[in-house]
Amino acid sequence: MSTLIVCRCEEVSLETLQKTAYQYHCSSRELKLRTRAGMGVCGGRSCRMMIEQIATAGDNEKNYETETIPLKYQPPIRPVPFGVWGGLSDE
Amino acid sequence: MLDAMIIGAGPAGLSAAISAAQHGLHVEIVDEYYQPGGRLLGQLHQEPDGEWWNGIEETEKLLEQIESLHITIHCSTSVYDLQKVNKKWVTYTDQGNWESQAVLIATGATESPTPIPGWTLPGVMSIGAAQVLTNVQRIQPGERGVVIGVNVLSFAIARELQLAGVDVAGMLLPPPHLLSKSEGVPQEVLSSLLRFSHLAPSVLMHRGAPFVKGRLAKNLVTAFYPEKGMGVWGIPLQLRRTALEIKGKNQVEGIRVAKVNRKGELRNAITHDIDVDFVCIAGGLSPLAELAAIAGCKFIHEDALGGYVPVHNEKMETAVSGLYVAGNITGIESAKVAISQGTIAGLVIAKSLGARMINGKINEALQEVESRRAAATIQFHPHVISSRESLYKTKKTQ
Repeated sequence: MSTLIVCRCEEVSLETLQKTAYQYHCSSRELKLRTRAGMGVCGGRSCRMMIEQIATAGDNEKNYETETIPLKYQPPIRPVPFGVWGGLSDE
Repeated sequence: MLDAMIIGAGPAGLSAAISAAQHGLHVEIVDEYYQPGGRLLGQLHQEPDGEWWNGIEETEKLLEQIESLHITIHCSTSVYDLQKVNKKWVTYTDQGNWESQAVLIATGATESPTPIPGWTLPGVMSIGAAQVLTNVQRIQPGERGVVIGVNVLSFAIARELQLAGVDVAGMLLPPPHLLSKSEGVPQEVLSSLLRFSHLAPSVLMHRGAPFVKGRLAKNLVTAFYPEKGMGVWGIPLQLRRTALEIKGKNQVEGIRVAKVNRKGELRNAITHDIDVDFVCIAGGLSPLAELAAIAGCKFIHEDALGGYVPVHNEKMETAVSGLYVAGNITGIESAKVAISQGTIAGLVIAKSLGARMINGKINEALQEVESRRAAATIQFHPHVISSRESLYKTKKTQ
């Protein structure tokens, strides 16, 4: 059977994520930083929830008791040209 | 400066713009897609009373009002940031920035497809993408395909594909692994489907449902569920078959299928392949919360609402001053509920900016949300109502 890819941008497999989560008792954020899952060009738009699910499955963090989303969102939340991001469109 | 910027031109955003503009507010709408309507555009299904719900027609009704109120909609415009600067909201988009006193986030939901080996091949798409291709762009996603993931939404869309002349070779369960959870377990899937027995076209399921109450009964039903599946509108519904792997060299060529027992475990190694040229994966929907997160909202996790939702009250106010939410970002429900929520949000924003004599209308709209929620044909989750009640209680105490 072929590998089950979770993060397409960085080509991180379910196996790698599960092993890493088990070995280091990772929070979602640590799991992301250790594997680069969710750090590719799409900004985790397709795999974010899977990363959170893998981290919470091992009970490594009490995600649901906090008032924030485990993997932080940061602007820009859509890919934009540097010129737009730098404020060139304001002029 | 605008009175209110509305992010999202779906059912919630459009109705909010209408009710706000009717009370004198200057509002504009932005949407990422090239035409307004949001997920209303794809919807086409028959209600139990025989009436058809046609999302494109519903969109047109809303757009007529938008036009008569001279509300501008900026399509093909992506919001990439949302910040409060000097007591004004600034909506940053790839087509320029807008300042406003209030902002309504009506960004809807995003799909969370269950991963399956081979799901990165061209020809694999989420069920929602297949719906947009078929109903909005009028392009068949392929000649013959399967739907992986059996839930009320994938049922409805499989039917739409079939109406569009696409050969739906079957509906299967995703393979059992950590990320498929209960979606891969036949008896869990069946019990969630039984909640929709009033919609079930199959006589077997329709007659069986009232008797299937306890777990024992559910086990019996899955035990006697025909192993080869049964036809629903001629689409084989295979609750005892799991999609092991999507096969193909450069694109989808087929799918490998195995038998599972009623707990979803692989019974033996006997597999067979089905030739298909596309695959739809149905996972579920989750509120699209990214803008609410960067704008500073607090979140609460509610399974019944689809995941993390921004903390808000029944008047669609968040804990952040001048920031409102409506529609599926507040929890996964029907477009009818989203339209009523939008109406509330528009009225509440108008009141906050000085519109008078509006309390009666707000109360009417609040009641409309409750009655539409209670009457919903499709309750996406059995605990939507109780979950909402507890969420709104939490908000009040803060």
